[in-house]
Amino acid sequence: MTKATNMPEAVRVGPPPHELERPPLIADRPGVGWVSDVVARIAEGPTPRWWWLAFGTALLLLGLFIAMVAYLATTGVGVWGVGHPVMWGWAVVNFVWWIGIGHAGTLISAILFLLRQRWRTAVNRLAEAMTVFAVICAALFPIIHVGRIWYAWWLFPIPTSNGVWPQFHSPLIWDVFAILTYFTVSVMFWYTGLIPDLGLMRDRARTRFRQFLYGLFALGWTGSSRHWHNYQKAYLILAGLSTSLVISVHSIVSLDFAATQLPGWHTAIFPPYFVAGAMFSGFGMVLTLVIPIRKLCGLEDIITLRHIDLICKVTLATGSIVIYAYIMEALAAWHAGQPYERFAIWNRVVGPYSWACVIMLIGNVITPQAFWFRKVRRNLALVWILSIVINIGMWFERFVIVVSSLNRDFLPANWGYYAPTWVDVCTYAGTFGLFFTFFLLFLRCLPVVAVAEVKSIVPAADSHAHASGDSNRC
Amino acid sequence: MNRTQPRGISNDRDRTRRRNAGASDANESGALGHIDVSHGLGGMDDVVTRRHFVKIMSASCLLAGVGLTGCRRPVETIVPFTRLPEGYIHGVSQYYATAMPTRDSAVPLVVRTHEGRPVKIEGNAEHPDQPTTDSQEHHHRGTDRHAQASVLSLYDPDRARRFGRNGENAPRQQALDFLASVSRKFEPIGGKGLHLLMERSSSPSRGRLQSLIRRRLPHAQWHVYEPVDYDVHRQAASLLFGKQVRPVFRLERARRILSLDSDFLAAEENSHRTIHSLAISRRLNSSDQEPSRLYVAESLYSLTGANADHRLSLSPSRLLLLAELTCAEFIAQSITKHRETDTAKLAGELRRRASPLPHSTSQWAKTCVADLVAAGPGSLVLAGYRQPLLVHLIAHALNLWLGSVGRTVEYVEAPARPELSIADLAAELEAGRVDTLVVLGGNPVYTAPADLDWTRAQRKATTVIRLGQYEDETSAVSDWQIPQAHYLESWGDARTGDGTVVPVQPLIEPLFGGLTEIEVLARLGGLTPTNPYEIVRDTFRELCKEGVFEERWRRFLHDGFLVGSASPAVRVGEVDWSILSAALSETENHKTPRAHQIEVVYARDTRVDDGRHANNGWLQELPDPVTKITWDNVIAISPKTAKQLGLQVTDKDGKDLRAPIVRLELNGRAIEGPIWVQPGLADHTVGLALGYGRTAAGRVGTGVGFNAYSLRVSRAPHHATGANLSKTGRTYPLACTQNHASMEGRPIVREANLEVYRANSRFARAMDSDTSRPARSPALYPNPLARMSTSARHQWGMSIDLQACVGCAACVVACQSENNIPIVGREQVRLHREMHWLRVDRYFAGPAENPEMLNQPMLCQHCESAPCESVCPVNATVHNDEGLNVMVYNRCVGTRYCSNNCPFKVRRFNYFDYHRRPLARLNVSPLVSATDGLWDTKRWWHDPDRGSRPEDEWNLLKLVQNPDVTVRMRGVMEKCTFCLQRIEQAKIERKVAAADSNRVEVEDDSFHTACEQACPAGAIVFGNVKSPHSLVAVSKADARSYQVLDHLNLNARVTYLARVRNPNPAMPDYHPRPHSTEEYLKHGGRLEGGFSSVTGTSLKTAGRPGGER
Repeated sequence: MTKATNMPEAVRVGPPPHELERPPLIADRPGVGWVSDVVARIAEGPTPRWWWLAFGTALLLLGLFIAMVAYLATTGVGVWGVGHPVMWGWAVVNFVWWIGIGHAGTLISAILFLLRQRWRTAVNRLAEAMTVFAVICAALFPIIHVGRIWYAWWLFPIPTSNGVWPQFHSPLIWDVFAILTYFTVSVMFWYTGLIPDLGLMRDRARTRFRQFLYGLFALGWTGSSRHWHNYQKAYLILAGLSTSLVISVHSIVSLDFAATQLPGWHTAIFPPYFVAGAMFSGFGMVLTLVIPIRKLCGLEDIITLRHIDLICKVTLATGSIVIYAYIMEALAAWHAGQPYERFAIWNRVVGPYSWACVIMLIGNVITPQAFWFRKVRRNLALVWILSIVINIGMWFERFVIVVSSLNRDFLPANWGYYAPTWVDVCTYAGTFGLFFTFFLLFLRCLPVVAVAEVKSIVPAADSHAHASGDSNRC
Repeated sequence: MNRTQPRGISNDRDRTRRRNAGASDANESGALGHIDVSHGLGGMDDVVTRRHFVKIMSASCLLAGVGLTGCRRPVETIVPFTRLPEGYIHGVSQYYATAMPTRDSAVPLVVRTHEGRPVKIEGNAEHPDQPTTDSQEHHHRGTDRHAQASVLSLYDPDRARRFGRNGENAPRQQALDFLASVSRKFEPIGGKGLHLLMERSSSPSRGRLQSLIRRRLPHAQWHVYEPVDYDVHRQAASLLFGKQVRPVFRLERARRILSLDSDFLAAEENSHRTIHSLAISRRLNSSDQEPSRLYVAESLYSLTGANADHRLSLSPSRLLLLAELTCAEFIAQSITKHRETDTAKLAGELRRRASPLPHSTSQWAKTCVADLVAAGPGSLVLAGYRQPLLVHLIAHALNLWLGSVGRTVEYVEAPARPELSIADLAAELEAGRVDTLVVLGGNPVYTAPADLDWTRAQRKATTVIRLGQYEDETSAVSDWQIPQAHYLESWGDARTGDGTVVPVQPLIEPLFGGLTEIEVLARLGGLTPTNPYEIVRDTFRELCKEGVFEERWRRFLHDGFLVGSASPAVRVGEVDWSILSAALSETENHKTPRAHQIEVVYARDTRVDDGRHANNGWLQELPDPVTKITWDNVIAISPKTAKQLGLQVTDKDGKDLRAPIVRLELNGRAIEGPIWVQPGLADHTVGLALGYGRTAAGRVGTGVGFNAYSLRVSRAPHHATGANLSKTGRTYPLACTQNHASMEGRPIVREANLEVYRANSRFARAMDSDTSRPARSPALYPNPLARMSTSARHQWGMSIDLQACVGCAACVVACQSENNIPIVGREQVRLHREMHWLRVDRYFAGPAENPEMLNQPMLCQHCESAPCESVCPVNATVHNDEGLNVMVYNRCVGTRYCSNNCPFKVRRFNYFDYHRRPLARLNVSPLVSATDGLWDTKRWWHDPDRGSRPEDEWNLLKLVQNPDVTVRMRGVMEKCTFCLQRIEQAKIERKVAAADSNRVEVEDDSFHTACEQACPAGAIVFGNVKSPHSLVAVSKADARSYQVLDHLNLNARVTYLARVRNPNPAMPDYHPRPHSTEEYLKHGGRLEGGFSSVTGTSLKTAGRPGGER
C-alpha cells in the first residue's frame, strides 16, 4: 500500500482499472496456514466413505488385471484378438495412450515451472502423481504383450551369459531407454517436490508411526534457508532435465511407428504430432482427475475455477496442434504420389475402421472447440464430460494409427480385420485398477497439493499485491 | 536330393525292411553316439545323438507297446543294430523309393526316413514317365499335395489301431483265423455268396490275386466303387476304338488345349504330371517361343479354368451342348472331304441339339475349333471325368481327327474291368444273396449313392468284413474291422499313369499291425503265400521274365520302377460313327437351368479328395486354391444367382466372414450348408465339394463341413438338375485365409499378353516405380551386408515363374511337412493365425461373371535390406553373409514388430502352443485345466516340454516332425528359412566331398528347397545366385523377372517371372490386355515407370476400400 512518491507523475504506474484486474488464482483467505490445514486434512482426517468405495473398486480391477496377465502369460498372446495382419492391438494402443497421459504431470511441473506459470502450483502434485502411475501402467504393456514374457528382460541392455546385446537399431530399444529415463526422472522430480511437504506432514503428525514414516521420507527437512536454497536449485535442474524428457519420450514412442515403412506409420511428422497429442490427452486426463478431487477433498479454494479455465485453454491449444497434424498427415500422403500412402489415409477415413476415425475426430477435433467459450470452461460438469470425451478420442487416435494402418497394407492378399477379445478389454480395464489403487493411496497418504509452493502464491503471501496490481500473475 | 539316396544295389533289401522296433533299437542308438562319424558331422554328433536317442526311445517304447499286443508275423529281415547296416550313418537320413497308390495310378516317390520313421515325401526324379524336357529342366519331380500330406496320415492317432469284432477288441490271430475260415467255408461252394467291394487300384499284384481267387472261387462276385471314378476315360476310349485302351495325355507336346470341364490340374488323375506337362508347353525362355494356349469350358471355377487363356463358364447342361457344338463345328470346318451322309447327318443332329446356346457361346466354340484345326496334331481335347460318355467320345474323336493321337494323346493297353458296380451289390444285398461281404478300403456307408441306402443294405449281409485305415462310418456297421496298413507301411505295387510298374515298399513296420489289401485277399482266397512281400515278389517274377530275378528285384526296389514296363501304345483306327450317334441318342439334353431349377455339380475336393483325407490336418487347413476356404466345404454359387436368390456372404471387411446357410433340395433329398459366392461360376449352378460332413473321421475331420453325398444318387453321380435353394435364415462362420480378392490396381502380379511380351520382353520391369531406379549418387549409408556378401561363397536366391505356377499348393504342404509347421484349427484360421510359411496368394481381376485368376506363391522374400531386421529389439532376426534373413527362435521374445514391418506379411507368429496343445483347447490356460487326470500346471512343472496333448496324439504326432528343424514353441515368430537345414546339409556334404581341396562351393542346383522340390510345374527355382550358371541366376536374368513392391528398395532375394497370357485375338472374349493390367492402368499406373510421383490420380481411384469380391 506504499506509494512511490518520489517518482515523476509521468512514469508512475497506477493499479490497472478494475475490469482488467485478473481474478485471483487462489481464494483470498487470511493468513497462509489455512493451505496446510486444507491439504493435510485429506491425509490426516478420517477415511471418507467415497474413498473406501473407490479403493475397493480399484482393487477389484487390479485383481482383474492380475488375473488377465496370468491368463495371458500361461496361455499365450492368442488370448488377445491380434492376428495377421494386425499383430499389435489394444496392448500397444493402451501403451501409447497411458504414456500420453503421463505427459501432463511433468509438463505442468517442469515446463510451466520454467515458464514461470504460477498457476501450476495448485495442480502439479496431482498431475505428477498421475504421470508416475500412468507411466507404470504404460510400461507394463510392452512387457506383457511379448510372446514370451519370461524373456522380456532381453530388451534391457543386460550383458547376459549368451553375450547378445539388444539390437540398438530397433525403436523398441529406444522405447525402453526413453521410458525408463522418463520414469526415473519423473519419480525424482515428484519426490523432490514432495520433500518440504513431507516435512510439513511430519511436523503435523499425531502418531509416532506417521511421524517416523514422514520423517524418514522428509530426509531431515528443517525448512532452513540453506535447505530451501539447495532444494530450489535441485528442483530447477530437475525441471530442466524433465523438460527435454517430456519432448523425447513421446517422440521416441512415435518412432516405433515412424521408423517402420508401413504406410500410415512411416511419417516424419509423427514425433511433434505425438508430443502434441500426448500433452492434449494429458491435460484432458488432468481435468478428468482434478475436477472430482477438488470437490471430494475440499480443495475448491486452492484449485479454483481459474485453474480449470487455464487447463482448458492449454488443452485447446495442444488440441489445435493435433488438428494441424491431422491435416498435414493427409496432405503428405496425398503428395506422396504412391497409391500405398494415399490408400493408408483413405482407408482410415472410409475403410473398415472409419467408425474409429469418427470417434477420434469427435474427441480430438470437435470437442476441444467448446473450450473457446468461457461459459463452457467454467462449467465444471461439462468440462469433466468433455475431458472424458477427449480421453476417449485420444485413445481412438492411437487405435486408428496402430490398427487401421496395419489392417490393409501393401499386398491386398494380407488384408484383414482386428477385433479385441474380452481379455483385451479386461486387461485395459485392469490397468485402471492399477492406476487408481496407486492414486487413491497417494490421495490418502501424501499432500495432494504442493503446499509450500501454493503458499508462495496465496494473496496473503504477496506483500506487493495491490501495489503492482498483478499479485495473481499467471 | 539323390546324393543321399543309396545308389548301390547291395544291401538294398536289408534296408528296405526296417529294423525290428524294440528296446534293442534304443540301446543301439545310444551306443551309436560313440561311433566316430567321420563325414564332417563329428562336431555335432554328441548333441544330435542325444536328441535322437530321446526321440528313438519314445518312438520305440510306443512301437513296443502297441506292437506287442498282437502276435506279430515273422519279419523277413531283422537287422540287429549290433551289426551296423552297411552305409548307415546314424543321424543321416536315408531315402527309399516307393509309390503312393491312387485310384488308377500311383505317384512315384522317394521317401526320406530318419531312424526308421518316414518324415518327408518327395517325387521320384528317376521315374521314366517324365515329359521330355530341355536342358534347363530341373532334375527332380514334383508331387501333389495329397502325396505330400500322406506322411501325416501315417502317424494319425485316429487310425484304426485294433482288430475288432462287433466293436469289441479281437486278437489279431483270431481275425486271421477268421479270414482263413471264410476261405475254407467258401471254397467248396465256389465262393457263392461271397462279395467283395473294393476301390480302384492299379496294382498288378491285386490283379493277379483276383484272377487266382476267381479260379478258386468262381462264384464270388467282385464289385468296385469309387465316388470319384476316372474309369470313364478308359470306357470311352475302349468303346470308341473297339479295343481295350485308355488314353495317356501328353500335354507337353500340345500347342492348343481344349478342356471340356476337365480339371486336369487338380481334380483328374496324375495331376502332378499334367501340371508339369502344361508348364513345359507354356515355357517361355525367349520371346520367339509361343506358350500353349488353353481353352477351358467348365461349370465350376477350377484350377484349370484359372490357368486358361480363354475360359467359358457354362452350367453342366450347356456344357454338353457346347461339346456337341464343338464336334459339329469340327466336322463342318475340317472333315470336308468326308461329307458322307452319316457324318453330315451327325453334324446336323449335333448342331440342332446345340441350338439353344447363345450366339456368343457358339462363336466361342467356332473360333476355338478353328484354332484347334489350325494347330492340327498339336491340339488336344480333354473331357473331365464328370462329363457323360458322349463328351468323352467327342473328345477322343476330335483328337483322332486332329491327328493328335501318338502326339498329344496316346492310347495304351488297358485290360477290361469286369468288376460289377456298387448298385449291383446293393441289389444283391437287397435280394439277400450276400452271405459274406468284404469291404476292402473305401468307406461306402459314407460315400455310396444316397438312393442305395447303404447302411441298411450292408446290414443285410450275414457277415461284413471291413479292411479300413480308420474305424469310420463303415466300420460301425461291420462285423469285423481289420486295420489297414498305410502305404508307407505296406508291401505292394502299382502302375503309374503310363503303366510303369512301381513298388510300394514299407518304410516302417505297421504301427498298428495293420494288413494290406493284398494280404487280406490272399487270406480270403486261401492262397499261399499270404505275406504281401512274397505276393509282390511273385507278381514281379511274372512281370519280368528275363534277367536274374534277385538282381532285377533289387534294382526295382532301389530305383522305384521297372524299366520298360510302361503299357504299350495301341494303334487306334477310324472312329465308328455309329457309336457316336448311338451315344448321342442315349444322352438327353436338359432344359436351361433357372433360379429354381438349379444344376448341381459334385466335385472332388481339392483337399480331402472324396473324404479319404478328412482326418489329415494339413489338408484340412490347406486353403482351397480358388476360394481360399479352409476347414469347410461350401455351396458355391455365382454372383448373379446369389443376387437373384437374395443371398450374400457378409465379410465385415474380413472380421467376421459369415455365409448364409441355405437348404439345397434335390429330388426329395436335402442338405444344409453355407453358400459361397464364387465369381466365374456358371449361373444357376451350384458346386458341392465331396468329402466333408464326416461323422466318424477322427478328431480332426469329424463334423467338418456338410455331406454332399447325401444328395448324390447313382443315376446322377456327377451332375443333377432341378435343385432348389432356400434360405434358412441362419449364418455360418467360414475360415478363409484371404479376405480381399482384388489387387487394387497394384503391380503385384504382373502379366501381359504375348504380343506385348514380344514387343517388350521387359514389360514387367517397366512397371517398376520411379523410386526403385538406382540412385545417381552413392548411398550415404551403404548396406554393411553388401560387403559381406562379396566374400561369402554362396548367395542364395529364388525365382518363381508365375507363368508355370498353376496354384496347386503342393509347395504349401511340402513346406509344412519339411518345416514342422503346426496346424492351428478353424477358429484360429478365422483369426488369420494360420502358420503356413509359404502361402499362395490368389487374386481375381476383371468382371465377376468370368474373372481372371492370378496366383502368387508368397514366402519370406529374404530382402537384402530387410525391414524386419532393423526393428527387432533382441537381434532375433538377422542377416547372414549368404543373404539369408535368419530367424533365431531361441532369441525371439515375440514383440511381433518384425511382422508389422514386413511388407509381405510372411512372418507367422505362434500365438498358442500349437504343437503342444490339442486344437480344441488352445486357449485354455494350464492353470485351470487337466490332461489325462493331471493338473496341467503340474504336468508343466514335471516336464515343461510336454504340453496338454493326450498321450496317443503326442506320441504319434511327434514322430512326423523333421528332426533337422526346430519345433517352435509359442510366443515365437517364425518364417521361411529357405530350408536352411537343406542348405547346411548340402554345404556339409560338399565340404566332406571336397576333403583337402578348397572346392567347397556347393554345386549348382545340387539340392532343392522343399517347395521347389515338390513343385510339379518346376515354377520355383532356388540356388546360388552368385554362380552365373545356376538355374536361379539364369532365371533371374530373364527379361520377365521382377520384384514385388520394388519401390521399397528391399532388394528381395525372391523374384518373380511375370506371366504371359496367350489369348486368341479372334476369340469373342479377347481383350488386348489382361484385366489386372487394365486395373493397374485405371489406378494411375503407367506401363513405363510405375506409379507416377507427379501426376495426381484422384484419391478415389487410388484405393477404394471395400471392393472385395
